[in-house]
Amino acid sequence: MDTAFTLNEGVEEGLKKILSSLLEKGKIQAAMVLDHTEGGGAAYSLITDPQMMAQTRPLLPLMPANAALALSRLTLKEPLSGPVAAVVRPCELRAFVELVKRGQGSLDHFIFISPVCGGVYPLQETLVKGGIEKKLPEYREAMRQGEIAVDIREACRTCEHFVPTGADMIVAAMGQDDPETHGTVFMQTDRAAELIQDLGEVMIAEKQTEGPLETDLIRKHQGLRRDQKKKLAQEMQLDQSGLDGLIEIFGRCIGCHGCRAVCPICYCELCVFESRDFEPKPVDFERDLSRKGRLRVPPDTLLYHLGRLNHMALSCVGCGSCTDVCPVDIPVSSIFIQVGESLQELFDYLPGRDPEEEVPFTKYETEEFAEFED
Amino acid sequence: MKGAQIPAPKGIADGILSFLKKGLQEGIFDALLLPVKVPAGDSFSYVLMRETDLMDQASPLPPVMPVQGAKALSNLTRYGNGAEKIAVPMRPCEIRAAVELHKLEQVNLENVFLIGLDCPGVLPLKEYLKNPKKGDALYRKALQEWALESPRWVCEICDPVSPEAADLHIGIMGAPRGKLFLIPNTPKGKKLLKRLDLKAESSLASRQTEIKKLAQKRTKNKERALRALRQEVRGPERLLEIFANCINCHNCMRVCPVCYCRQCYFDSEALKMTPDNYLMRAQRKGGLRLMPDTLLFQLGRMSHMSLSCVSCGMCEDACPMDIPVSRIFTLVARDAQIVFGYLAGRSLQEPLPQVIYREEELKEVETPYQETYRPS
Amino acid sequence: MEEAFKPKIVGFLCNWCAYAGADLAGVSRLKYSASILPIRVMCSSRIDPLHIITALLNGADGVLVAGCHPGDCHYQQGNYYTRRRFAAVKRILETLGFEPERVRLSWVSASEGQRFAQVIGDFTRKIAELGPAPCRTEAFL
Repeated sequence: MDTAFTLNEGVEEGLKKILSSLLEKGKIQAAMVLDHTEGGGAAYSLITDPQMMAQTRPLLPLMPANAALALSRLTLKEPLSGPVAAVVRPCELRAFVELVKRGQGSLDHFIFISPVCGGVYPLQETLVKGGIEKKLPEYREAMRQGEIAVDIREACRTCEHFVPTGADMIVAAMGQDDPETHGTVFMQTDRAAELIQDLGEVMIAEKQTEGPLETDLIRKHQGLRRDQKKKLAQEMQLDQSGLDGLIEIFGRCIGCHGCRAVCPICYCELCVFESRDFEPKPVDFERDLSRKGRLRVPPDTLLYHLGRLNHMALSCVGCGSCTDVCPVDIPVSSIFIQVGESLQELFDYLPGRDPEEEVPFTKYETEEFAEFED
Repeated sequence: MKGAQIPAPKGIADGILSFLKKGLQEGIFDALLLPVKVPAGDSFSYVLMRETDLMDQASPLPPVMPVQGAKALSNLTRYGNGAEKIAVPMRPCEIRAAVELHKLEQVNLENVFLIGLDCPGVLPLKEYLKNPKKGDALYRKALQEWALESPRWVCEICDPVSPEAADLHIGIMGAPRGKLFLIPNTPKGKKLLKRLDLKAESSLASRQTEIKKLAQKRTKNKERALRALRQEVRGPERLLEIFANCINCHNCMRVCPVCYCRQCYFDSEALKMTPDNYLMRAQRKGGLRLMPDTLLFQLGRMSHMSLSCVSCGMCEDACPMDIPVSRIFTLVARDAQIVFGYLAGRSLQEPLPQVIYREEELKEVETPYQETYRPS
Repeated sequence: MEEAFKPKIVGFLCNWCAYAGADLAGVSRLKYSASILPIRVMCSSRIDPLHIITALLNGADGVLVAGCHPGDCHYQQGNYYTRRRFAAVKRILETLGFEPERVRLSWVSASEGQRFAQVIGDFTRKIAELGPAPCRTEAFL
């Protein structure tokens, strides 16, 4: 349903005022949004005081950590007991849905507000002089024009799923006429419409949008993203990698497992690659040495990456946090996203599109994949 | 104190590698653990080798330290020693970390020959990765002149310049041109010299002068740096500011040689609460940062490992947000170790402070009985 | 004179069908290439993708996963999951150009001694064509 409200404010300010009002009226217990930090960056904040909404930056194009981690932490032990609004990007919401399917959280009582996403900047951008603030004017212009903002994460640049699915409200940060002055918010669920009901005095604009959410500008942007994805695939030629190619790509890896730690899908409290199963004993080294004569220590770098691909790529939402956290600049997301999409195509699966859709490894058909068996 | 000499006509790295190769070929060592350039040429990784075919790609003193040598050693020997006698040349901070890990029972030194190296410092990892070829050239020059322009902060203040825990130490500083010292520190090291048919007959006076000079310089750097740092981190607000950008990735913990717990407390069940707990905390102050417990992790890690921190700087190299982790941790570690008169990595014989106690000590941290409870 | 390459294939065989089939091949004195290192598992679905990948990275020239025919699994549905998991592994190897032909999934029942010998013969031939696994001598894995 394309019920929409156009506000007298730009998308970000409007959103802040909506949330502030909802907090004041007690319609939500808390709002989880990006908040500025002293270091010039941002971090998610669970806000209960309406006054504190004023300083937040809900639509700042930065992802310090995939919000799904926070959403899962909040509801790991139990579901929420009351309504909490959360402003999260489309991939963050999809990641949380994937976690919910695996018993790592609950969707109950959440009100998800998600923007049409123009992507986020790499974390390192906050460390450059001027930081994200310096990038904002060109970012907003790109959103207005339906163009891809320069310098956003590669994962974002090539992401086709920038229109949220599963959100209660969609903030049209792109696609409508004046997102900076008259933001439009689309209500996707009854619950959302209910919440917004008597927000009348909170700046509903004279001229209301008719909809739809997906305009020509959005479609143009989709095309641009698709082109970027194709271009990346052509540049990387991942299927020509083989062992040598993989060793080149992952050669610098120091085994810090940062990629696993920030991945929203990797929820195992003790990852198998950090468990005793993967701690070599002297006899293992002796055997390998006698066979090969020399081996890398600690061993099993490629095994870790190939293993992690097998374990989570099917649910990879392409957020790009892995690349950002890597201390040796390995483009982890470039590989994981391509492999993930290949798997997702094989199983006709899109992670997070539907909470009722089971993870493909947990079900089967009696006749399928004949091309893989002998 | 006297040492032997080994030839290094083609330079330091070549001299060290030739010595190790000889030891391997003569069966004195069964294997070597050495940093080797990765196939793509853009970094280095430790390789355990019995064969010598990768030795022309090896570097005993690479420009960067992507993996802490002690952590590699722990990976090899955590479950005890193998049959192989492994020679492991390592930088001073790696030796120090190996000493601490031995005390923590994460490293078994029985079949390991620890070979210490003098170290001119190491380039920040992120800097090196921007242009590895440039970094390699810069470091080649630095080895020749024995001076590195902009090493990491921890390198500039590294004052235990020549740790004695190594079985043998390869003395680069103060050695005559075209030669390197080989200094035995332990009975194992002395026996090794004998097997290599080398005699510790050369005077180390020239070396001792240079070491003393460098140690003084580094100690001065350290005092100055820590004095300034102490002012900077005064108070919870400042600490919050410094860690404001922390994304809780825990890279620092995972690359730290001393942090050996398979499952870190701060990743465990213990910190996972019900939603009401988080909401209540949020209500108390109007908001709660998520992921929560960032400062708890930092302070907690400090309290868990500071007494063994050897200021190797891996933490800061691995931090994606450029937080000066190694500086803060060095400051805290030093202060904590001083309380116990302990220096992490100094000696294998020195027990870990928290594993021993004396009946009468640390009166300054107690609140005396008489002061608090005076029966009337 | 260089020796002809003798493929080393790790075979994960389910206890109830494939392994029994292999036993039958043996008892029937059927001749087949001594290239397989059989590992008996109770069900082919016990195989974690990590087992397959570990075998490959440790230098196995080929990895065979063999179980009961779909519909005949001793544990009812195990092999359906095997098939899905295997499809994912193979697709990942394909996407990375990592010689997906080195892994194979075959269904062999307990009475199919002949078929077992055939599968081994066929797979061994294919692996011989591919040559020794590059991982055998690679230090930087």
